[in-house]
Amino acid sequence: MNSVVVLIIGFVVFFIGYRVYAKHIDTKVMKADPKRATPAKMYMDGVEFMPTSKNILFGYQFKSIAGAAPVIGPIVAIQWGWLPAMLWLLLGALFIGWVHDYSSALVPMRNEGASFGGLSYRLISPKARMILLSFIYFFLLLVAGAFGAIVVDAATGMKSAPMAWLLLTIGGLLAGQMIYRWKKDIILTTVVCVAIALFGIWFGTVAPSDSIVGAGIANSKFVWAIVALVFCYFAAVLPIWRFALPINYVASYIVFLGLLFGIIGVFILHPDFTLPAYTKFEIGIGYLWPVMFVTIACGAISGWHSIVSSSGTARQLEYETDARPVGGGVMFVEMMLGLFALIIAGTIYASSSEYAAAIAKGPIGVFAAGVSKFLGAVGLPAAIGRSYGSVMLIVLAVTILQLVIRFMRVATSELMGDISPIFKNAHVGTFIAEILVLVLILTGWWQYLWLLFGGANQLMASMALMLVTAYLMSEGKPYGWTFYPMIFMFITTVAALIYTSYRLLSRVFTGGAKTLEAVVGNTLMGLVGIFLVVAAIILAIEGWKAFGRYRAVKAQAAPAKA
Amino acid sequence: MAEEEKKKKGGFLQAVKEFVYGVAAHDSARFAMKTRASMEHLFILITMGDMLGVPILPPYYSLRLLPYVVPQISTWKRRMLREKDFTDGLA
Repeated sequence: MNSVVVLIIGFVVFFIGYRVYAKHIDTKVMKADPKRATPAKMYMDGVEFMPTSKNILFGYQFKSIAGAAPVIGPIVAIQWGWLPAMLWLLLGALFIGWVHDYSSALVPMRNEGASFGGLSYRLISPKARMILLSFIYFFLLLVAGAFGAIVVDAATGMKSAPMAWLLLTIGGLLAGQMIYRWKKDIILTTVVCVAIALFGIWFGTVAPSDSIVGAGIANSKFVWAIVALVFCYFAAVLPIWRFALPINYVASYIVFLGLLFGIIGVFILHPDFTLPAYTKFEIGIGYLWPVMFVTIACGAISGWHSIVSSSGTARQLEYETDARPVGGGVMFVEMMLGLFALIIAGTIYASSSEYAAAIAKGPIGVFAAGVSKFLGAVGLPAAIGRSYGSVMLIVLAVTILQLVIRFMRVATSELMGDISPIFKNAHVGTFIAEILVLVLILTGWWQYLWLLFGGANQLMASMALMLVTAYLMSEGKPYGWTFYPMIFMFITTVAALIYTSYRLLSRVFTGGAKTLEAVVGNTLMGLVGIFLVVAAIILAIEGWKAFGRYRAVKAQAAPAKA
Repeated sequence: MAEEEKKKKGGFLQAVKEFVYGVAAHDSARFAMKTRASMEHLFILITMGDMLGVPILPPYYSLRLLPYVVPQISTWKRRMLREKDFTDGLA
């Protein structure tokens, strides 16, 4: 199949999903009313609750949810063939993804902007709140581990990436200084700092890391994991305007330009898929069901989106009717990003064996090669294109990584601050989070780490859909459109997590894991997977009881039969 | 007709501008506001400490500062008393 046909099918699904299905749910089921006061208006404090234009929120939501996951997932999942991966991206986004993102924004909007903790307390049970928050903590640990592994792989695999990353950081720091200290014009600041970052991408190709620090350090996972975590340490403890935000600001232009010219490149080259449409049901990393459904997380559906929608977007939507373009619309855009990644993986290699050799080294090389090819169509030299692709991936991963570490610092302080005041210290909280992440990065094999992350992410989505279903039941509204996706996601993700945890732990107990590193990595990942499954099952039982209560109330309220 | 088209074009460009702002800078602006709000909360706490039983400033200065604090009290109360969990730190 031709790649342009895939993009066109994507646009058709986008159109049908957004203009037909989402519109029907929004107008007929949820009855979004632009005149109804939203939390942003009712509780406006100029900070968290603030009516904001839907166009701004569209950009904000896109930036917050489009990390490395929609790119990596399809690149890995194409091992089962491009057809199942494409169908899951399209159907997942059409029937589950947008439903999840949209409802995760709309339900908190109708509940005074409450976050998930408050919603689970109110709609399910007090116990559910504590379990859900613990679940989220471990889910984010896996996010940090998986994304940290991507950063380390990119830094060790693409020798031009470290220099580009360094200059991007310098550009970002300069942006912070120029905007907040020197009060310089934003356009001047942007031009100067983005130019520094772009210069870094070129400079990385002439000054690769192995020529500067030697091959030993350039290939050391440990060194680059420490570098990544030091980077995140600064992001977590320095004032946010000084480090994290200006770097993200400059980085967003790198990603934006790369995507824009990459998609133009796809249309110019319009290559055919060279990999098979379907390979087999069982491959090295597992079965098509359930494993492929968690390998592609973002792009089809992602629990991370619900946290962004509920805690961030829901408090800024000016009108209820904006939830559809912001929640649903952005999800479909992310589906298109997933399709773009699928096209990269499916079209740039001449044969399956070439792809197999490339993916064995990690998805970063595949992505960088694809970006290089499609940016080459608009005139960028191949070496710079590869450098650009690797930096894009580092940027996509590190943006989420630093946010998650910062968040885990806050969570450690809140969860353990009562045990000892030392946990309230910012440096101690960051250090604890980073040690956990470091262990995962150094000991976990990236494919299993990715599967666990995907499983936890999708399970989080299932939990969010459970909250939405409970809300719909409590309001007496039709709930099938969230209930069935929730059941599907719950069964699939629990099966995937149990399967992955079993494979990890069985390697420990049967002696398959020989080195200390493998034993620690498999045990840690397996136990985290089991914890998530247990927490999810307890939550599901609590949720089921809540559903029963709502059904009983509905039955009592119904008029008696004659 | 021409004016309508111009308006439409302006609307589209405005939408693009807002989208780019949303991608690149909205988060920065929000965090800057959050930092400012934290400082203002501290200011309110200092000013109103004695009313809460924490004698921080002599009442004379508190009363001098009170007019600057009064407009913030309602949002301060909402932010302080609203139920929060750690997912609030993410977005």
